[in-house]
Parts: sequence; structure tokens; C-alpha cells
Amino acid sequence: MKMGSQDMPEFTPEKIKEELTAVAARLFGEGKVDYFLAYEKGTVPFKTTPLIARKKEDLQRIWVDDYFVANLSVYLKEIRGRIGIVIKGCDSRSLVSLLKEEQIKREDFHIVGISCPGQFDLRKLARAAACDPEELEEILRTSSGVLVRANGREKTLPRPQAFLDKCLRCRYPKPLIFDTLLSGEYVAPVDLENPGAADPATSLKDELRGKTLPERWAFWAEQFDRCIRCYACRNVCPACFCPRCIVEENQPQWVSPLPTRGDNFVFHLMRLMHVTGTCTSCGECERICPMGIPLMKLNEKMAADLKELFDFMAGVDLDKPLPLRTYRQEDPNDFIK
Amino acid sequence: MEAKPEMEKKEKSWDPKILAILCRWCSYAGADLTGSSRISYPPNVRILRVPCSGRVDPLFILKALRLGLDGVLVSGCHPGDCHYTAGNYNARRKFVILSRLLEYVGIDPRRVQFSWVSASEGDKFAKIVSEVARDVKALGPNHLFRGESLALDPSSPSPSRQNQ
Repeated sequence: MKMGSQDMPEFTPEKIKEELTAVAARLFGEGKVDYFLAYEKGTVPFKTTPLIARKKEDLQRIWVDDYFVANLSVYLKEIRGRIGIVIKGCDSRSLVSLLKEEQIKREDFHIVGISCPGQFDLRKLARAAACDPEELEEILRTSSGVLVRANGREKTLPRPQAFLDKCLRCRYPKPLIFDTLLSGEYVAPVDLENPGAADPATSLKDELRGKTLPERWAFWAEQFDRCIRCYACRNVCPACFCPRCIVEENQPQWVSPLPTRGDNFVFHLMRLMHVTGTCTSCGECERICPMGIPLMKLNEKMAADLKELFDFMAGVDLDKPLPLRTYRQEDPNDFIK
Repeated sequence: MEAKPEMEKKEKSWDPKILAILCRWCSYAGADLTGSSRISYPPNVRILRVPCSGRVDPLFILKALRLGLDGVLVSGCHPGDCHYTAGNYNARRKFVILSRLLEYVGIDPRRVQFSWVSASEGDKFAKIVSEVARDVKALGPNHLFRGESLALDPSSPSPSRQNQ
């Protein structure tokens, strides 16, 4: 089987951790940052928690392992000051988006980039090992794939079955902007057997093929019915930065806070419209959703449309104007009577 | 007269309720011209006047559907004719994205339609309203949210781990 991993350097968390701590300590030492955003060890296995270091001593808590999936750029809208931040390739797209939206200033940041070897999808791994995510005992990157041990049994999975879907489509494992880049360069765990899967537009077409409108609505109505409106998707989203969200606006009240299908429909589609061109399909909303609503399907539909209609990809080009802040005379017009 | 045939009659004579969001400079004036030219058109539309098609937040359209309107028509000035130079060009980008999204989640594109109608096109306005009314009538009432319940309703199936 073609895996593409043979020529890839081994991901060495200890080395990255050492380098990262040294860079952060230097930044604090030189007085260049007031805060440093990194990861610390989570309280449960295979989870890494965001760390907001306020002083040099906090840096001892920095932890790097195979699970630094959280997109730290979401904190930038809340923390003010000079900030050091660790980002992966996909997170760097969120940073570019925020810069484009003029939400943050480049000079306020020292960006420490990590080239990302791909992030495990614990739900997928648990499914493959036929156990609950909590029962996973060991997960190892190997040359032939990913080894999972649970309940005393072992299984080696091909890489597409072990990583987050977004990683299988990743084109930017290496951060697009950074001040310091930590050692190691990786390629995304792209599914070489099935190259079409790397393209959201193709997989969308496959998914929609032969589906009638009522069938699609039946699917989405069921998804909207399940939403409890906890707003976790909004809170974790780096692209959602309004100081006051329209769902909390009550004079007039545009969207009722009651989790009914209708208001959930308005909420989710409106949120998507608000992040048009800023959403980088980083997948945090779907990962965080307690009800398992497949929000990435919406994000990737949007991404595919922006690519097709306006040749726009969110968060990759600082100079290209946001798609809804510009227009061309030859934009699509055939849907208008 | 008995109540039952009355109700059946009512059901059969269902007429769609359509929200028409019209720009103040072109389409609204066009609708005025339709009236002053004594051209008749289906009385299904409720007109909402906005300063410019660029003022149309996609939220207006979503909310109209949520409130049970059977169809929405958004109309503004022809490209190049915008009173504010580019409001309709900007709006067009939002509209194309929204209409594709609505289709993606399974809402028939004929429920939410768009048009350019100038102040001199009274006949076009009548024609478009007739078309939209015919389309929406063929689609039937907006039952997208019929039978909706609260997500936390204990009688609804447990959602936990559904996607894991």
C-alpha cells in the first residue's frame, strides 16, 4: 500500500516541546510578549488543553504530544496585548483570516509555527477499535499506519482511518505565516489511494449524487432538530468575532433562543453566512459539538462554492480581498431573473 | 352551510403568501408602475421596501422562511444601475451563496427567487410575480418546520453518540 510516510521524518513531541519552551522563554525574557498561547497536558489521555501562559514560570506546563488539535487563534479575540502563539498549518489560515478581517494586528504577535503531522480522530479510532473513546489505551504512529490498542487488543489502521477528515484534505501542514518555525516538516496524511477525497468539492458531489431535495431536507431537519443551541460552535470559532452576536440581540429579536428546528435552521445558516470567506474549515465547530451535528458539511459546501464561484480559498492569501467585500461585473447572474 | 365543506374549500383554494423585498429605486418603482399602468398580477405578494438590494441581509430571507412565508422574492436594480453604484453587485454575491446553501440543505430554489426589475419595467414585475406565485403554488405550503419540537424534548430519540 502506498502510504507516503516512508520519506516523512518521525514526529518527535519531546524535541518540539523542548524547542517550543525555549522559544517561549526567550520571548518572555526579552519582554516581547505578555502572554504565550500553547498547549498543556489534558486531564484525560489523548487530550491536550490550551495553555495561556502569563509568566515565564507557566511555561513549565507546556506539553506537546500527538493531540494538539485545538485551534488557539480563537483566543486572540479575547486576549489583548502582545501575544506569542503556537499554530499549526490549518490554524495559520485562521490567523490570516483574522488579519484580513482586521481583527488583529500582525505586529502584536509572535507566531511560532509547528509543521503538523496530522491529528488523530479519536472517534474514528474508537470506532475502528470497537470501543468507547475513553477506552483507548495506546495510539502509535508506525511506518505502516496507526496502531491502536484498546481492551487488550491491537489493530493497525491505514492512515485515512485514523486522522481527522480535515487532515486528509490538508494542503497546508506547514504554517503559512510564522516568525519562528519549529523543526520538522511533514506532509498531510492525504489518502493516496483515494485522491478524490482530498477535494471537498468532489466529496460533496459524491455525497449529493442522486439525493432529492426532500431527502436532503429530511437529513438536515433531523440535524437542526438535535441542536441544543449551546453556541459552543460559535464560541470555539475563530471566524466568529462579533462582540455581540445577533442571536443575543433582543430588540428586535431576530432568532429565538429556543432550540426549535426553525430557529436552529436560521441560526446555523446565518452563522455560516457570517463566516463566509473567513471560515477556513478548521473543523473546531464540529469537533466541539456535543450533539454531533456534522457542521463541516456546511462549511465545506461553502468552501467549495467560494472556490468555484469566486476562485477564493479562505485564509491562504493576505492580499486577496474577502469574497463578500468585493465583486466583479461578470459574477454569476444566471440565477437571477 | 356545514363547516366541513367550507374547510375543504379553504384547503383547495390555498394561495401562497410571498414576501417581495424590493429596492427603493428600481423594483419598488417598477411595482408602482405596474399598478399605475393597471397591469394586474397575483395578489400573493407582501412588499417590503428596502433602500437597496445590498440592504438585504440573508437573515431576512431565512427569517421569512422560518416565519412560514411560502416564498421570497428579492428584487433590485439591474447590474450597473444601482443608485449606490455597487449595492446590487455586492448583494449578488451574497445571494448566489445563500441560494446554493438553501438548495444544499434541501430547500427548493423556487421558494427563494431573485430578479432585477427597473423602474420602467412594470410589465416585467407583473410577469415575475406571476411566475413566482405559480412556482410556489406548485410547491405547496411551506411545511419546512411543521411538527418541530424542542431538541430537549424527552420524547425525542436520544442524540448522544449519534455521530461518534
